[in-house]
Amino acid sequence: MEQKVTASTIEKKSLIGQRIKKPDAPDKATGKTRYINDMVLPQMLHGKVLFAGRPHARIVRIDTAAAARLPGVHAVLTGKDTAGLNFGFVRDNVPLKNIVRCEHDEIAAVAAESEDVARQALKLIEVEYEDLPGVFTPEAGAKADAPLIRDNFPGNKSLSFEFRHGDVAAAEAASDFIVDSVFRPHHVTHCCMGTSCAIADFDDNGKLTIWTQTQYPYNYKMDLAPALGIQPGDIRVIQPPVGGAFGSKLDVYPYEPIAALLAKKTGRPVKVMYSREEEFKASPTRQPAIIHMRTGCRRDGTLTFRTADVLLDNGAYTSWGPTIPVIMMRTTSGHYRVPVVDFKAQAIYTNNPYAGSFRGYGNVQTTYATAQQMDMLADMVDLDPLEFHIKNAQKSGEITPQKSFLRECVLAECLETAAKASDYSKKRKEYAALRGAPGRFKKGIGLASSIHNAGGAKIHKSDGIGTILKVDDYARVTVITGASEIGQGIDAVITLIVAEELGVPLEHVTLVNNDSDIAPWDVGVHASRTTFIAGNGTRRAARKAKAQILQAAEKFFGEPADTLELRGGSVVREQCGTPLIKLDRLLRQMHFQDEPELVMVTDYYEPKSEPEGAAHLSDHSAAYSHAVHIAEITVDTLTGEIRVDRVTVAQDVGRVINRLGLEGQVEGGIAIGLGYALSENMQLERGILKNSCFRDYKLITAPEMPPLEMHFIESDCAEGPYGAKGVSELPTIVIAPAIANALYNATGVRIFDPPLAPEKVARAIAEMRQRKL
Amino acid sequence: MQEITSYLAPRSLDEALQAMATGDVTVFCGGTDLAPQTEAGVRRYSTRLMNIRRIENLDGIEEKDGVIRIGALTTISEIRRHPLIAGAAPILAEAAEHFASDQIRNVASIGGNICNASPAGDMINPLLVLDAAVELASWADGAQQKRRVPLEHFFTSPQRTVKRADELLTSVTFRKPAADFVGRFRKSGPRPALEISTVSVGVGGNFSGGVLRNARVAFGSVAPTPLRARHVEAALEGCKLNADVISAALVAARSDAKPIDDVRASAWYRSHLLEVFLEEVLHHVRGN
Repeated sequence: MEQKVTASTIEKKSLIGQRIKKPDAPDKATGKTRYINDMVLPQMLHGKVLFAGRPHARIVRIDTAAAARLPGVHAVLTGKDTAGLNFGFVRDNVPLKNIVRCEHDEIAAVAAESEDVARQALKLIEVEYEDLPGVFTPEAGAKADAPLIRDNFPGNKSLSFEFRHGDVAAAEAASDFIVDSVFRPHHVTHCCMGTSCAIADFDDNGKLTIWTQTQYPYNYKMDLAPALGIQPGDIRVIQPPVGGAFGSKLDVYPYEPIAALLAKKTGRPVKVMYSREEEFKASPTRQPAIIHMRTGCRRDGTLTFRTADVLLDNGAYTSWGPTIPVIMMRTTSGHYRVPVVDFKAQAIYTNNPYAGSFRGYGNVQTTYATAQQMDMLADMVDLDPLEFHIKNAQKSGEITPQKSFLRECVLAECLETAAKASDYSKKRKEYAALRGAPGRFKKGIGLASSIHNAGGAKIHKSDGIGTILKVDDYARVTVITGASEIGQGIDAVITLIVAEELGVPLEHVTLVNNDSDIAPWDVGVHASRTTFIAGNGTRRAARKAKAQILQAAEKFFGEPADTLELRGGSVVREQCGTPLIKLDRLLRQMHFQDEPELVMVTDYYEPKSEPEGAAHLSDHSAAYSHAVHIAEITVDTLTGEIRVDRVTVAQDVGRVINRLGLEGQVEGGIAIGLGYALSENMQLERGILKNSCFRDYKLITAPEMPPLEMHFIESDCAEGPYGAKGVSELPTIVIAPAIANALYNATGVRIFDPPLAPEKVARAIAEMRQRKL
Repeated sequence: MQEITSYLAPRSLDEALQAMATGDVTVFCGGTDLAPQTEAGVRRYSTRLMNIRRIENLDGIEEKDGVIRIGALTTISEIRRHPLIAGAAPILAEAAEHFASDQIRNVASIGGNICNASPAGDMINPLLVLDAAVELASWADGAQQKRRVPLEHFFTSPQRTVKRADELLTSVTFRKPAADFVGRFRKSGPRPALEISTVSVGVGGNFSGGVLRNARVAFGSVAPTPLRARHVEAALEGCKLNADVISAALVAARSDAKPIDDVRASAWYRSHLLEVFLEEVLHHVRGN
């Protein structure tokens, strides 16, 4: 056998923890990327939806004749065309409605040659409504005499959840201090840069191809099928590049079956794409809640119990929003060491917009409560506030009342690191002392932490992923994976892991992950799971390929496979790094030998976690993680404006995989969390959205982003890829209560209903000063 | 959407005014208000759309005989950077600094900001403080007709002005302030960019020996139009700017402002901010 050895040796260089740019970044930065919103198919028609524009009404009459006659119109559909096509979590939704239950209810849809013609056609549809009395808060909906929104849901009751552990009465009796407050997290929405969009096309065999923004392509088929009256197997899902999702594409929303039904009716591809105003009104929200929380502790700082009684505004339909208690209760029972827990939640149907999943998934709302109550108790106990947090922080090996097993727990290290880096204890004391002193501008510092699943969340039967990996004759690697890319950067992570394992350049790795007919199963992008789950799947597949390659090298060179390694595009001796053969050359030799072989491997990875279960008593994630944020702010006590001067982050990331991607996740997560904390607010008046534009729905913009100091604590998770844990939701979860605690530190004002918008803060401070006079 | 059947891009003012004589032309300059408002259905395009950007001598900033003239096409970015403005009327540059964002400032024109007649229009407030007037041109009897309207009397209600449909705003002018003129502008908004004013306050006047003369005070977003706060001006005129006078000015402000509740703020917050800003701005003037 020919042996080609180059002069120099190749040293081991690990990519783990390096800064790797996202493979699609240059195309996105230069505008080359063709998002789904840019796509045009031959013969494609444009679909438009007629929205009700009123919160609760009966449709007396609907006349589409004039719209159907308009030249260029190919189809008009109404509720009678979609009757019985029920879909959704509790099958309470239907693509087009016969009864109006919220402002954005889809009443009719048109497919036409152009968007303009479709828009004109909508204007020609005559609808006569009989308005019905509405329900606009969950409290109102829960009243005995409230209008009933659905006949089959008495009392307007949607989903409910309960978890109890220990004797609350006894724990209360043993408490020296109890804080008792009602928090009211509000309606916000995802504000993806790419508005909702789907393109649907049926072939003559009845198979649907849908180009869509979904972040869970496999269960998506199962959820979409009943809305169309077809089989899940007859749906092919293609995921072009999307302009963000953040949880908003974790369910089927009516525009998707509408596009498909219009395509079926016309026999042509149909695209439905929302305008920004439609996006504000018709895309899902973050779940609002009314959280009555009580937390107790002893004088020595030991937590005794926590209760949460939660009322959820379900909105008119049931998507992922009202399922958030699954996570809310994990935080209630697991945020710090809480020995006794009583959690209950009830969702009530209203005529408001309805919530989907949104980065943080219930934990944003719950941590806003738990982290503020911890800050309140910290002022009561006989302990330094930081000591109070550390005393109650769990340690590795502890198990929460819900059986979350905290294998590697570094909450105390996170607290110490962030507190030291920001000089938290000293500043907190100083600023509190200056609260009453004269001066318009007040400084404050606030600490918040939280816990979140960081190794998937087994809320489905499976939390696994399939991976197919091939290495071709040129040593180019293709990874065919179920892991969707919605901007979060799994493309970079998978590329990095393949390059790490197979010693090939990053640019030699290609990802195929956007076609459900090609890529294998995955649950979807949610629960901070993709780096953990797909990272493990990729590593396992790459190691199988590597074993096959080294086995072949052993055969060709007579050197044991376990003394060989793949580095720098070559097979090398592991000890000295001496190259034996270029990888591409070896692959060709494997291919063209007498017993030819190709390198094509498959893997199915299922994390070691337990199904959530009806009792909510399970180790439902393969890992858990903590983060601590310390926010330093300046408050203008007259205008109520809060300037965030600095945020110190300490987060358990298990192990850094792609440092650049990780930093991006923290920055992006904090930007979303700051908007939630300070300015974003869907202003609803009797079910009607009043600020459906970026002028009046205020996102955090670049100049408002504070300097961030990030500390990544590496707990080295045994189950995680290279020790990594999931990271992406905690940054959004923790920042808002850190700001709220800083506001209290600065001014003595505590606000339980976010956002801490200038007017609300100014009013609260003015009222407090009035009371003191 | 209304169909636009002809697009006009005149090179000369005569040409533009002749085209406008029938009154059924939509004038387009930067488009930063016009385009989104039309998209939102608040306005409609006429069948004829006229882009005035190419008209000669309608842009630029110049001083002649003690009068500063800003052509209607001048962009907010140009005002923000212009040395003549920086030297003679820095209050305008200050307002330009807080106007939307760079992308919008680079195309939005001063003429457009005035004609949009928003009570929140950021450039209007300092121009009221500078006692500016607008020049309106039209075509009649085979010749250009011109009239001057003091800016204070230009606005009638939100999005409405005294300008007729056949008239084009060609420039805004103001007398170059004397060396002892002090002007200050403040608008609300925690966001450093892309913020519509919840309230804006401008104060200017000749300030020497601690005394404010020719006091001019303008408020934005607290009434249907941008306005001169005459009661506040009266409370300040010829007075030494001390704590009592400032207190009196704050009380007088309540007679000038008629704020409402809307999606951006409550009337309470607007009144509150107005007093906060007025006090702040008067202290700044006093500190000069």
